[in-house]
Amino acid sequence: MPGDIVRASVPITFTYKNRVGHALEQYLNGFKEKKILGVKCPACKRVYVPPRTVCSSCHKPIDTMVEVGQTGVLKHFTIAHVNIVNGEILDAQQPYIIGLIKLTGASSLVSAIVKAPSQGTIKTGMKVKAVWKETAQGDYGDLTYFEPA
Amino acid sequence: MNERVAVVGYKQTKHTIDSPVARERMVYELVKSLYHDMGITKDDIDTFVLASNDFTDGRTISEVFTVPRIGAYMKDETKVEADGLNAALYAYMRILTGLYNTALVIGFSMAGSEFRVPLTQSYTMDPAYERPRGIINFYSTAALQAGAYMKKYKFTDEDLAQLTLKNIRNANNNPFAARKDPGASVEKILGSRPLYLPLREAHVSTYADGACAVVLSSKKTAKKFTDKPVWIDGVGHFMDTYYVGDRDLLAMEHLTAAAKKAYKMAGIKNPKKEIDLAEIHTNFASEEPVLTEALGLFKPGSGKDVVKSGASAITGTLPVNPSGGPLGANPVNATGLIRLAEASAQLRKEAGQNQIKGAKTAVVHAQDGPGAQLNTVFIVRR
Repeated sequence: MPGDIVRASVPITFTYKNRVGHALEQYLNGFKEKKILGVKCPACKRVYVPPRTVCSSCHKPIDTMVEVGQTGVLKHFTIAHVNIVNGEILDAQQPYIIGLIKLTGASSLVSAIVKAPSQGTIKTGMKVKAVWKETAQGDYGDLTYFEPA
Repeated sequence: MNERVAVVGYKQTKHTIDSPVARERMVYELVKSLYHDMGITKDDIDTFVLASNDFTDGRTISEVFTVPRIGAYMKDETKVEADGLNAALYAYMRILTGLYNTALVIGFSMAGSEFRVPLTQSYTMDPAYERPRGIINFYSTAALQAGAYMKKYKFTDEDLAQLTLKNIRNANNNPFAARKDPGASVEKILGSRPLYLPLREAHVSTYADGACAVVLSSKKTAKKFTDKPVWIDGVGHFMDTYYVGDRDLLAMEHLTAAAKKAYKMAGIKNPKKEIDLAEIHTNFASEEPVLTEALGLFKPGSGKDVVKSGASAITGTLPVNPSGGPLGANPVNATGLIRLAEASAQLRKEAGQNQIKGAKTAVVHAQDGPGAQLNTVFIVRR
């Protein structure tokens, strides 16, 4: 076909004010006191972190908040060399570690950044502990990362 | 009620990273040439099921533009916001009701040139938890899963590179694949850009512009369309919990459950022996051992042996993705449906250079969500 290909730029911008819901509100409120909260299913006794209002497995409502440990075991990790920003895969300034951690008293794993003085010392199965911002404000950034315990 | 449903026609585009034609024209040309090949018109189709996504299309209720192109004007039509194999599952069920005898299924996107796939993926993440934290995405989830598998089963970076190379070579011989890399090597794969280690750029599927269309028919009308029907003898479809931390990334119990259901329907007792080939939807090369083991095709943890023995190669005992799979082309929304088309080609001895001798039964798989949260399984036979 003759001629140049013409592309229309199609920007789509929506800003929502989603309510995060009761479970995550309590989770973030817990952060203000540097506490990690989960919920315990009354039926199967699983402890979910972050908390949620229904157990997928039992299909029962969960409203029993429980505090889980600040330490846990690093179960899986990946060494990230990139960040995905607005759909673009950009090189990170330096590699960092994303881990899945089983906190003491929790059934599910939480994802978090894991830091150590030397990245090579990070191994699955190692004990890690939460590191908080000095002044917690009730947002996700309060729990900055985990480090070897 | 209809009791048996077959694939009676299929066609895919030559996938590219930058389509020379716009989406609507691509869809029109594909469907029109499929009807032409089959000697039918839109009037032979009772119901139409599309697979696309408002985010990948950049417009809401996006099928208003594609419905005229596929011949669904003044016809029964619906759309799924999921992979095309799910659209095929809906069409299959519609035919089983007996209200319809034929269905056109189509999946498509312009993932190569029109939008950033990681951006549309990010819109599927929990807006109240994962999105603001920015840690868990499709890539990092796949990397966590790959790392878990590699550590547990001593599957090395070289093994992963070999597996990737197997798929790239299959794609090189597939005329529809977008990725052509005759110079691919283990060394080049091991040296490609690190993303979330162990995942590197070379392990990622090839986002492409493309479409795939399949015509399904009840047994009653199948003969009218072809003397080579490919029967859908088993289906399964299960979803795991959304939160990655709640799942067993290696066991993939939901996929095993979907596979068991499909095998049972198809009367398959020993998939390792009875399945001749698998076409599976991998977004990353590292998913292949995890998914095929959950499908019961190989022993858990046997990935290393499978790579070393060549069991999953075209010449192997149980070829996996002889087409090259999504590493060759991943036109999001069409990718799983292409697996059905490729398996049908194999069973009808129409797979060209990648033809497997004597293939009679295939397993077809599609996924959605981070870390294959949702899985669809078809068992097809000639």
